[in-house]
Amino acid sequence: MVAVSADGDRNRPRLLAMDTGGTMTDTFVVDDEANYTVGKAQTTPDDESVCTTNSFADAVGNWGIEPTDGAGKLEGIVYSGTAMLNRLLEREGSGDIGVITNGGMEDQLRFGRGIQSWADRSYAGRLHAREHEHPEPLVPRENIRGVRGRMNMAGLPTLPLYEDEAYEAIQDLLDRGVRVICVCLVYSYLNDNHEQKIKDIAEEVMEERGESVPIWLSSEQKPIRGELPRLNTLVIEAYAAEPSREQLRQVDDGFAELGSESPVRVLTSSGGTVAPEHDWLVDTMLSGPIGGIFGGEFLAEELDIDNLVCSDVGGTSFDVGLITEGHYPTRWDQSLAQFMVNIPMTAMDTIGSGTGSYVRVDRTSERIEVGPDSAGYKVGYSNMDSDVDTVTVTDCTLALGYLNPDSFLGGDIPMDRDVAIDAIDEQIASPLDEDPIETARGVLDIVERDMSNELRGLILGLGYSPENYTLMSYGGGGPLHAAGYSRGLEFEDILIPQWAAAFSAFGCACADSAYRYDQSVDEILQPDFSNASSVAYSINDTLETLRERAEAAFDRDGVDPDTVEFQPSLRIQYLGMLDDLEVDISEVWDGEAGIDAEGVEDIIDRYEAKFDQVFQRAAKSPENGYQITMAIGVGVGPSAKPTIPQEELQDETPPEDAHKGTRDIYWDDGWHAADLWQMRDIQPGNRIEGPSVIEAPATTILVPPGYEAPLDENRIYHLQEQ
Amino acid sequence: MSIENDKVGEEKLAVTEKLTNGGEIGWDGQSLQSMLAETERLTEETGHYRGLEDLELKEENRFEYERLYSRLRGALVSARETALHVSASPIVREIGELCFQIYTPEGDSIAVSTGIIVHVHTGSLAIKWMIEEDYEHDRGIEPGDVFCNNDNDLGNVHTTDVHTIVPIFHDGELVAWADGVTHEADIGGASQGHTSIVHTSRFEDGIYATCEKIGEGDELYQDWKTRGERSTRTPMYWDLDEKCRLAGCHMIREAVHDIIDDVGAETFKQFTREAVEEGRRTMESRVQERLFPGTYRNSSFVGLPLAEEGWKPEQQKDSLHHLPVEMDINADGTMSLDMEGTSSQGAHSFNAAEGSMTGGLWVSLTQCLLHDGKVNDGSHYALETNFPEGSLTNPDDPQLSFHAPWGTIMPAFQSVWQNVSQAFFSRGFREEVVTGYSETTDTVQGGGTLMESMAQMIPDEVGDYFPVSPFDLSCQGLGASAVRDGLDHGYAMWNPEADMGDVEEWEMVQWGTQYLSRQMKTDSAGHGKYRGGSGWEGVMTVMGTEDCTLYKASIPDVAFSTAGMAGGYPGSTKYAVRAHDTDLADRAREGEPYPTGDTPPGTFEEQIDGDIERTHRGNYFPKEFDNHDVMHFQMGGGPGWGDPLERPLEKVVADVEEEIYSPETVEKVYGVVGEFDEKNRVFEMDRAATEDAREKIRERRAEESVPFEEFFEAERERVQDGDVSDPVAEMYVDAFDISEEFEAEFDEFWDIDRSGF
Repeated sequence: MVAVSADGDRNRPRLLAMDTGGTMTDTFVVDDEANYTVGKAQTTPDDESVCTTNSFADAVGNWGIEPTDGAGKLEGIVYSGTAMLNRLLEREGSGDIGVITNGGMEDQLRFGRGIQSWADRSYAGRLHAREHEHPEPLVPRENIRGVRGRMNMAGLPTLPLYEDEAYEAIQDLLDRGVRVICVCLVYSYLNDNHEQKIKDIAEEVMEERGESVPIWLSSEQKPIRGELPRLNTLVIEAYAAEPSREQLRQVDDGFAELGSESPVRVLTSSGGTVAPEHDWLVDTMLSGPIGGIFGGEFLAEELDIDNLVCSDVGGTSFDVGLITEGHYPTRWDQSLAQFMVNIPMTAMDTIGSGTGSYVRVDRTSERIEVGPDSAGYKVGYSNMDSDVDTVTVTDCTLALGYLNPDSFLGGDIPMDRDVAIDAIDEQIASPLDEDPIETARGVLDIVERDMSNELRGLILGLGYSPENYTLMSYGGGGPLHAAGYSRGLEFEDILIPQWAAAFSAFGCACADSAYRYDQSVDEILQPDFSNASSVAYSINDTLETLRERAEAAFDRDGVDPDTVEFQPSLRIQYLGMLDDLEVDISEVWDGEAGIDAEGVEDIIDRYEAKFDQVFQRAAKSPENGYQITMAIGVGVGPSAKPTIPQEELQDETPPEDAHKGTRDIYWDDGWHAADLWQMRDIQPGNRIEGPSVIEAPATTILVPPGYEAPLDENRIYHLQEQ
Repeated sequence: MSIENDKVGEEKLAVTEKLTNGGEIGWDGQSLQSMLAETERLTEETGHYRGLEDLELKEENRFEYERLYSRLRGALVSARETALHVSASPIVREIGELCFQIYTPEGDSIAVSTGIIVHVHTGSLAIKWMIEEDYEHDRGIEPGDVFCNNDNDLGNVHTTDVHTIVPIFHDGELVAWADGVTHEADIGGASQGHTSIVHTSRFEDGIYATCEKIGEGDELYQDWKTRGERSTRTPMYWDLDEKCRLAGCHMIREAVHDIIDDVGAETFKQFTREAVEEGRRTMESRVQERLFPGTYRNSSFVGLPLAEEGWKPEQQKDSLHHLPVEMDINADGTMSLDMEGTSSQGAHSFNAAEGSMTGGLWVSLTQCLLHDGKVNDGSHYALETNFPEGSLTNPDDPQLSFHAPWGTIMPAFQSVWQNVSQAFFSRGFREEVVTGYSETTDTVQGGGTLMESMAQMIPDEVGDYFPVSPFDLSCQGLGASAVRDGLDHGYAMWNPEADMGDVEEWEMVQWGTQYLSRQMKTDSAGHGKYRGGSGWEGVMTVMGTEDCTLYKASIPDVAFSTAGMAGGYPGSTKYAVRAHDTDLADRAREGEPYPTGDTPPGTFEEQIDGDIERTHRGNYFPKEFDNHDVMHFQMGGGPGWGDPLERPLEKVVADVEEEIYSPETVEKVYGVVGEFDEKNRVFEMDRAATEDAREKIRERRAEESVPFEEFFEAERERVQDGDVSDPVAEMYVDAFDISEEFEAEFDEFWDIDRSGF
């Protein structure tokens, strides 16, 4: 267990972030002086209040504090977990879901638009059609009923709802014993009249029958264009998210029993936290992995950095998110366990190379292939406690001297460098007639080049250059590979926080208390702004509704709506284009009056400026007019934030007892004697000169020859070329 | 437009100076023409691309080579991703019909982006054509120039695929070409849509850019832009797609300049050539590794029932196309593909140029042999093709229509897939078998204008015309393999990344149409021990339009294009049913059901009154659709593998419960008898009746079977007497006319002097 504490027993736990994984529950606790401690406990799926409080006890135990003492001081508790996602991935969700669609569209769920048969596959898997397979539908076809009727693309009812069919459908589904009915009709996000009518009929039928099951409408959950993602999201809510609600309450109760007065908040994929009572929990399906981006946003603001690349090297993947002008983008059109959904998610791109990725030689092309599969937590061939029989990226880093075989994960995993070298030689180098060490470096070159290609592509895709960005590297493997994958990109700066290994958890603790509501609008604005007034009227109407929803949510949580900040934004595109951009309109929006025609023009100016910046290679197309596609309202409530370390700078020379000796490392075609440093003994202001390796139990920073890494007053290393 | 005009300006000065002094733009003082000739000669003589027997860079500096490959590929992928953002046409966006390539100066593809790999070799043909036509001295090829091609005969798949081609220079030499291609929703032409079956000649096809220079100094010529704006029905999409292609090409150029700055021009050049040769070797190794050597043969057929539908006298006939495919798979990993005996070119839209056919070849091989995505023109050099000149697959008359070559490519490649599948099977890769697929046809095409009251919400600049060309046709049934059923509703042979798109997306574009349904098409999947993937059906109506014209192209309809394998059946054929002047509005008012399908066939008209048109042929030419007219369309199923009687009974039960097959059909084909509770989807199988029915099927088979000799003799007599339908006889006569070789072989096989056709 890791404990970083400047002054022993005087820690006051302030914020707690926890992540319940399939096997282990991790907690991260920060005190009011930016010290942190990490705890672990076995996950207890039947009652997560047990594992979360155990893990918390383990964490604060490092500070010599009893959990009952620590809990009372907490100002914020953020929960993220994989229970919902695992329930979906392993198909262990709750069944008995009924679905009502337009008559004639009952098969859309199993069709999955075709795209679901390949959406989550690797590039080779996408091309190889023979591998494609649809996910098993979450609702069997016999639980799906259709009701005739149609709205058109302007939200006008072109065919009336066939009410008799609606009665019959409800009766049938109730006869089948469903526990919830999900209703999703085409264009209900523009006009919910037919969906509401079905709800009315259902209530009437249930009253007659003396039964009651919830009737969920897609227009209430996610009024966003795209009927398949809308239906999937509603169904996943019923199948995998809602069943966690009780569990979340148990966790909340667990901490209350320990004496905490702070409510448990659940992290959403769009970056805020919500109460377990939140109407739709599906927003919290996928949150843990993107925590680092929220941490990045927080750091960027604290340290006054405009553009930050958050890069996370884990065991199985390399994840990247960009914070540009202080903000990270959100996406809707993503798949979750092969299902297309419309859950707003913080944009994060992933490539399948991590430290555990397998390395093989393709005998046909005689080329080295890395991943996409991975040894994950089993680390590599040279892990003497595992049965991995294929070389991994970690075996290569070990062979090159970057890792300390005796203290991998604090010495919990026994590694053998000679075993690694032999395996690399046998499996990769010999078949290619190459030297094993050069091959190990070559493998890292391939992996790190893939990573830098990803970074370059993302940054150029946004119309920027790497020089405009600061790179932040975290995760267990980030600090080890940062020098490699940043090569040739000339970032403004490269940051490695001392708490890199726990940075994602730190990020979770940084999340705002926030409720986010989205609504597709499809408003067309004429190129001469002649209808700007009516567009403004309609936008005001929509945003006002979103604000009321956000305020109601805080009201339910017992938060004074006056303390809630409303952040409106719009997604806009040139008419005819299909990619919209999100424009923050907080500065144009008047809390009382909303926006007027002039405000609309102001917003379009902002949109055009953003378009220029993002799509600098494309010509604008204002001649066709504009389309406002979506209104987004986020209510942000007050929440406690961690503080980052602020320490006095010491000498550039590190204290002698931080030096642990030397080890040879291989870099740029040769061996170099690298100084080894103990991370916890390095003082702010110290400057580590390359070649060096800075070791901590959960991470290793490689400072190659020709580089240096000063540690600043915030306990962040700056990796620089000398 | 370009963000690096300075660099292009510098290059332009260098080239102008060179040309003024009598220099050439090829490498080392050569012209492109001589480079091309030399490359062809060296490749021919040595069997290695440009005679590269050793891959020095790859072997001596393996990791540098990998870095270059990954960087170049990364540049193509990121160009595509970025360009997608500015592209408008729903086809490009919804199904990613956008692809970027980079070529050597001679026009050999080095690497391809993600997207539709069908275009690996098409741009190559266009570049080679420009070189052969001496553009470098005549028209001029200079830094900042922009070329465009959509002429299939010169290198393209079909006319609605439009290429933008940009030369990349370094130090006064042309070091590479960038090419971007998008599929357009409309390019003008005699009928609406992206794949029209109406046209008979080039003069009806719409815009043709024939390796045309369309810009210089990175800017498009004004006259070219004007032409695009005035010559298509969807000028906005045309314009945005063009911006997208050009932006992507410029990004690739920029990336190449960066790479050359980093590693030097010589390394870059060496790398590009080795990459092509490596592609050739990889292809050969894959073939050696996975296919069993031998000669494999198969034939596909396409019915073209236009006697009633045809507009022009020359197209008003019912005909059948012959598409035989013979493949030699050699022990050294080389392959050949020979279509001797193919029907001749004709006055219809299905003429497929050589580029179209090679496009089909690459998109097929990347799905089964080369799906690591590292495909390039090296693979092309590992494979010899014979598409007979003057035939459907290599017309020699550029004045024909080339609008819908997919009507030839897709059926022809059924035979290629079956040949390759036999070779996989023989090698033991049973799971790689693909018995075929349903051709991506039968979706609705056309367009119309909105009613005045609806049109008010659309800005004038956009106009009130809406195209109808949904790409939900990309979700057909895939054939079975030799170990499992085919993929249901999710396959397009030209793009493995199928996506039918949300109704809410398509209707945003095709304003005047509304889907009434999208549902499973029962009984469309080909039967077998492993069944083919199922198709689906839809019903569409028209609302709020002033005039709307729709049509439908369909394969297979009156003739199967392929059979199943090992005793499996083909998928069902497609057909057409539509209703005009209907009572839809009255029905809706009264709450009377309207049609959401046609299962079993014939039920459509039970739920709608009006002028019903039902034909066995699936295609019809553009018809006017009034508001509330209703049309049915369907996506087909894939072929099956193996004897249906070997299909496990529990799977047949599941087929009924999932509406893949009707109870009547499983009784007839699988001999499975039972009661189907449709509402609860429970099929109770009657075991005794099932055993009985299966026994009867076996008895009937035994009764109907004859010894092979008897069968052959009977068929031989038919051939001798010409005892076949007229389209079949005409098909063979036509094939004999253009190929004496085929006729001789045919006569020899049947052991006759001359057929009675």
